[in-house]
Amino acid sequence: MLKGTNITKCFGGLTALSEVNFEVSQGEIVGLIGPNGSGKTTLFNVISGLHKNDSGEITFEGQRITGLPPHKIARLGIGRTFQIVRPLMDLDLIQNVAIAVLYGREEINTPRLARDRAEEILNFTGLASKADHLPGELALEDRKRLEVARALACRPEIILLDEVFSGLNRKEIEGAIHLTFRIRDEYGVTVFMIEHVMKAIMGTCSRVMALHNGVKIADGDPEDVANNPEVIKAYLGAAYAER
Amino acid sequence: MVTPDSKSRRLVFWVLVLFIALAVFPWLGIPVYFVSLLFTVFLYVILATSWNIIGGFAGYLSFGHVAFFGIGAYTTAMMINGFDLSPLLTIVSSIPAGVVSALIAVIVGYPCLKLRGPYFAVITLCFAFVVDLGVKNLDILGGPEGLWLKSMDLPIDIIRAIFFEVMMLIMIFSIALGIWTSNSKFGAGLRAIKEDEEVAQTIAINAPKLKIEAFALSAFFPGMAGGVYAYYLTYIHTDIVFDMMISILIVLMALFGGGGTWLGPVIGAVVLTLINEGLSTFVRAEFARIVYGCLFIGVIIFMPNGIIEFFKRAKGVPPG
Ligand SMILES: Nc1ncnc2c1ncn2[C@@H]1O[C@H](COP(=O)(O)OP(=O)(O)O)[C@@H](O)[C@H]1O
Ligand SMILES: [Mg+2]
Repeated sequence: MLKGTNITKCFGGLTALSEVNFEVSQGEIVGLIGPNGSGKTTLFNVISGLHKNDSGEITFEGQRITGLPPHKIARLGIGRTFQIVRPLMDLDLIQNVAIAVLYGREEINTPRLARDRAEEILNFTGLASKADHLPGELALEDRKRLEVARALACRPEIILLDEVFSGLNRKEIEGAIHLTFRIRDEYGVTVFMIEHVMKAIMGTCSRVMALHNGVKIADGDPEDVANNPEVIKAYLGAAYAER
Repeated sequence: MVTPDSKSRRLVFWVLVLFIALAVFPWLGIPVYFVSLLFTVFLYVILATSWNIIGGFAGYLSFGHVAFFGIGAYTTAMMINGFDLSPLLTIVSSIPAGVVSALIAVIVGYPCLKLRGPYFAVITLCFAFVVDLGVKNLDILGGPEGLWLKSMDLPIDIIRAIFFEVMMLIMIFSIALGIWTSNSKFGAGLRAIKEDEEVAQTIAINAPKLKIEAFALSAFFPGMAGGVYAYYLTYIHTDIVFDMMISILIVLMALFGGGGTWLGPVIGAVVLTLINEGLSTFVRAEFARIVYGCLFIGVIIFMPNGIIEFFKRAKGVPPG
């Protein structure tokens, strides 16, 4: 469904992504791991069109999307969240989501109907009781849920989740894992997620890729990737060394 | 008991009464000064309300909006003097003035709207200077002498009254555009752009296109108003219709009342025009400018969301 070949992205002298290949199939929940600064967010930025890659090609459902402007990519059915949450601060939750309904793939063009749909999505993400709050009044967990709600409101085929679990406590992570499954099972949306929290990865993903300094070093079954020596060295090494 | 429905019906009634009262105003033999003052109020309501589409809703602070007003004025002047228009056509000919302004906004907006924040403000300011200088140096447009317009073959107070009505009509349309924007998909998209343009694009908002549409719309009514203003004065000069002070006033009025709401710029324009007039008439014009400068600073520091929001908050009404 979503496929990247030889994606390279440089920032000045820094190679953030180097010849990365990836593929996500319909209905999968795929994880993307790697230490900080390994290029995960950059990969999402390239996919969603916010950054232009220097070389390589991305296709979505067989169509080449490299070089398309972000709004066209979103329109084709690729939704995303931001690691550092970016709600529309002066608008309440329902407006945040309703705008995405209006401009997304729902074919809803009247603000009133969009609000109804937005309410359903807020309900789905567990934010219904805070629909008329401003994002600034929300705790981190709810802000992350708002990111998800806004992305879902465009009715994407695939959603790119950038560290939706980080900064959450154990109980909140349970809730987020549950939500991830429901995104796929109830909304039929394929999930591609960046995650640090291993528990979340193991609990949700059918496949995991690992990046290190912009290079893909592993791809496969979550258990295998987690036990891959190179991954342990690059990413889990520090964590294991602490024990 | 007052239900919301009867309340809004009563509001519509009073608004109608207000507009009818305004419409008959120039026919009552009231001194010209007051007719002119109201005419100026209408003009600024149009300018501030239109500016609000790009500046208030989309957050792109255009500091060169006077250019669209001036372009409209000159377009109309050229049409009047170039063709022998009947009185009726004369009135209608402010529409092409609006169209020309909007077209120029599309052309100028295409490169300029790629810039954000202070860069956009500065480039629009420069745009207005360039247009001003260009017109000043084109002899065909009267150059530094200005342009006289052929006047209609009617008594002056009738002409004044007619253009008063036309200006009021344009004002009603521009306010309607503001109300529509604040309740429409279009306005919602602009709000998202103002808040975070990158996020807006990731929710499938075609930001470049929407911004150009907003800029063109926000130039259209000032262009028309410029046309009507030219008729009204029967003489135009770059120092009058490209006056940078107007550009600044427009921004100040919209922000003073509250950008991004339809009512804010209306209130801002009415209040500040009356204050300006009062100060220039009873004190002096320089003093008005000083007061304005201070107001600008005060508004930005103490009421970034405008006076409506400011008073709501002071009264403990939650924002929104
Ligand atoms: N806009 C940018 N400009 C310059 N460098 C960037 C930019 N975005 C990311 N980088 C750099 O690219 C590298 C990868 O960053 P990122 O993709 O955010 O990592 P991750 O999400 O895996 O933590 C980092 O070294 C980061 O500093
Ligand atoms: Mg990241």
